[in-house]
Amino acid sequence: MNFTFLQNYIFRKIDRSLFGSIFLILIIGLINLTSANQQDAPQTLSQIFNIIIGVSFFYLICNIKTRIILSFAPWAYLISIVLLILVNSFGIESHGAQRWISLGIFNIQPSETLKISLPLMLAWFYQKNDYKIYYKIHFLAGLLIFLPFYLVLIQPDLGTSILILWVGIIIIFLAGLPIKFLTISFFGLLVFSPFIWNSLLSYQKQRILSLIDPFSDPYGSGYHSIQSMIALGSGGGFGRGWLNGTQTKLDFLPETSTDFAFSVFSEEFGFLGVLAVIAIYTFIFYRCMWMTSKMQDNFSRLLSAGLTVSLFSGFIINLAMISGIFPIVGVPLPFFSYGGTSMVVSLISIGIIMNLYLNKSLIAN
Amino acid sequence: MDKYYIKYILGNRLRFIFYCFLTVFFLIILRFFYIQILQNNYYSTQALYNSIKIIPIAPARGLIFDRNNIIIADNKLNYSLEIIPEKIENLSTIVGELSKVVSIEEKDIKRYKRILKNKQFSNSIPIKSNLTIKEAAKFVSNSYQFPSIELKETIKRFYPQGSVGVHFIGYINRISKKDLIILESKGLKKNYIGTDHIGKSGVELQYENELHGISGFEHIEVNSIGKPIRVLKTSPAEEGGNIHLTIDLKMQKIAEDAFKNKKGALIAIDPTNGEILAYVSMPTYNPGFFVDGISHKNWNKLNQSNDKPLLDRAINGLYPPGSTLKPFVAVAALENQLRAPPFKINDPGYFSINNSRRFRDWKIGGHGEVNIIKAIAVSCDTFFYGLAVELGIPRLNKSLANFGFGKKTGIDLPNEKKGLLADAKWKKKKYNKKWYSGETAITGIGQGYTQVTPIQLALATSKIALPNKSIVPHIKLNSQSLRQNIDLTAPLIISEQTIQWVKKGMENVTDDGGTAAFIGQNIQYKVAAKTGTAQVFSLKKGEVYDEEKVPDHLKDHALFIAYAPAENPKIAVAIVVENGGHGGSTAGPIAKKIFDYYLTSESH
Repeated sequence: MNFTFLQNYIFRKIDRSLFGSIFLILIIGLINLTSANQQDAPQTLSQIFNIIIGVSFFYLICNIKTRIILSFAPWAYLISIVLLILVNSFGIESHGAQRWISLGIFNIQPSETLKISLPLMLAWFYQKNDYKIYYKIHFLAGLLIFLPFYLVLIQPDLGTSILILWVGIIIIFLAGLPIKFLTISFFGLLVFSPFIWNSLLSYQKQRILSLIDPFSDPYGSGYHSIQSMIALGSGGGFGRGWLNGTQTKLDFLPETSTDFAFSVFSEEFGFLGVLAVIAIYTFIFYRCMWMTSKMQDNFSRLLSAGLTVSLFSGFIINLAMISGIFPIVGVPLPFFSYGGTSMVVSLISIGIIMNLYLNKSLIAN
Repeated sequence: MDKYYIKYILGNRLRFIFYCFLTVFFLIILRFFYIQILQNNYYSTQALYNSIKIIPIAPARGLIFDRNNIIIADNKLNYSLEIIPEKIENLSTIVGELSKVVSIEEKDIKRYKRILKNKQFSNSIPIKSNLTIKEAAKFVSNSYQFPSIELKETIKRFYPQGSVGVHFIGYINRISKKDLIILESKGLKKNYIGTDHIGKSGVELQYENELHGISGFEHIEVNSIGKPIRVLKTSPAEEGGNIHLTIDLKMQKIAEDAFKNKKGALIAIDPTNGEILAYVSMPTYNPGFFVDGISHKNWNKLNQSNDKPLLDRAINGLYPPGSTLKPFVAVAALENQLRAPPFKINDPGYFSINNSRRFRDWKIGGHGEVNIIKAIAVSCDTFFYGLAVELGIPRLNKSLANFGFGKKTGIDLPNEKKGLLADAKWKKKKYNKKWYSGETAITGIGQGYTQVTPIQLALATSKIALPNKSIVPHIKLNSQSLRQNIDLTAPLIISEQTIQWVKKGMENVTDDGGTAAFIGQNIQYKVAAKTGTAQVFSLKKGEVYDEEKVPDHLKDHALFIAYAPAENPKIAVAIVVENGGHGGSTAGPIAKKIFDYYLTSESH
């Protein structure tokens, strides 16, 4: 590494508005975390550490050659799959599911890495098979999606597996899957839905049922939904003030640092705060999509769109979950919830998008 | 194809995805708007309901003292061990550990489970109550082993005098459903949220409102498992007012001791102001039984006993007054211009109406020449038979009613009985039978249908003693003036002459030749009295009452009324000793002990 490298790569112009708005979310997330974890300083410090690692990866990835990313794609996918198999056999159990794998000093969540490696693999796969967009290719892409989907589903982690499936399908859709086929699959899914329902575990069924009417079983499966809605609702327009949310402070709200971090925020900062944060996310989304549209090749556009969809599907599911319109499935809010893997993965995703945008096209390299 | 694809298909689909997502974002904003703005009130209430518990603080019950500040009903600290059910995983392991420190019995566990089953809120439940100081200390030194158990201090009613005066003190017991309905109708239910016990009888019931005090409240913030986090607001309880009674506890004890094992009742009253000095109903029971909730066994024992310990004989015991009614009958006659001295009769030992049925005097052969004064002194039945027949029931009852017979005296204790002054109309209604003049005759000597309570006798006696005083018997000190709603018995309008004659008769009772002559011996003050013997069952014609042969429960009741000193009355008593035989010899000595204490003892 010499001086020229630093000049050429580290200080290259990055999109200030995108990075600035993400930075804003990170800061708000940290302030919120202090309240959510009831001023548990070690956790807050650990999140700051996660952000530093994530931002470092972001800078690194911004500045590598796009071809490196391209060539790394199948390996990333393979590593994710291997990790998933490992986690299913030797993982650390938490909340009745094996989601974590210990890498010595820190644990990672392999299902989170799929949020990068799957779009990467699919983009690489379609790039390899350029000019040959046939059903066979889409079908093979479908298999590439189904394998990790299945591995995550049996962990069991319903939320992340649905997210993976959803992102994969959107990428295939963007890759040009005929509308006709989409329609057929939709009806196919309807037919098979009873079988899928039967394969769900009872706690997952309970959660989905509780969605229909959470108040029917307020102390059972609907409890978390209700407590989260109470947090939101009692926040009102202007919120109850930072550190003043009783739902958080008195432990009525579960998982305040991770899945329900935004419930804490909604309770303490009210609808105005919520609007501001959603506005920033919307801007990030818009910026990512705008950058994607400026890209010149299939690989870049598919990958960039896939990563954006992956990030913002997480955003949608999390907000829908805490506001009681989606079951409690355990999907964190990107950039906001506590969690190392999620934070690093989200920042790497943005780093890749930025890299693709800066290079515009594979050909330019 | 690639160019075309990028430009059209991917470009269009990207735009489609973009707008789809934006729409979803917008829907999510709408959802937040709905919950946070439109439903704000609802969810704010829910959040409050979640986190704030209102804990009532029961006020300390007021204490009860006698007139000399001796404590009769006290509060005692009670230590109990309580468990927060949410905090423990397995009851039996906890109890197993705990019983190494304090003994836990099967009934404690049963009670815990019963309360747990019925509990409404996230409160702690007692696993053991009534710990001794030693047990409490032992628990405290081991409490680090039991994070889920806490030692609680509550106050509990305690009657330091045991069974002394139990009938006027009354007792408290757990609030029943019926009590709750009554409280609700009075609008007092809210004040009793934290209270376990309520007055059930006696002063505890009569002065419940004063004794109870006002509940306080603590607004406590609790977390999701119901653990108190901090106190938000406290409005302290206002403790109940203390009550001083007119009772002189020393006299009360002397009186109760004087009864020994006999059944009966005694009222000692200050005729100048109506204050009850002693209030005895025998046998007694221990009011402490009720504080913890009386066991089924004990209740049955009390309730089914032939001695009826739960009956408050002083205001609920109905007795034929026997000869103690004679002074009042005499007043009735004299006030109706009958039998005034020098009128006298020659007593043959019996009285007969139209030479048919004979009504015997208690003294075979009679008393010889008897005027109204002597008639009272020697309790001449013959004199009063004739008097009653001539006077007639309507005039007699009217006069007796002026003394307070046949109606409640208005004493400040619950459920007083009003006794009975019978007449022809009453008999017609009750038995559908005609009134015979023989019944009038025996009414004149206090037999027949007439029924009085000891409190009525005491009140009537003090009216003889001081006819110009208008008094209402009362047991709470200084309460007479407060009790506006009760009509004070009007002062008796009796001629000076009448009262002098009757008083003279009663004074002669304790002189030589009177029916209670022994009381007058070796005494520094003059007692005016009247003895009485009330038949529990009627003798058959020709049968002679023989005390030796009659079983105890059929023996005559002994009655005794008196006031002293005769010239300046300071105390009046009425005594009934059930199955005690002759009034003078059984009940008289009890009266004498009280007079001695009250009128001669140094301490007074």
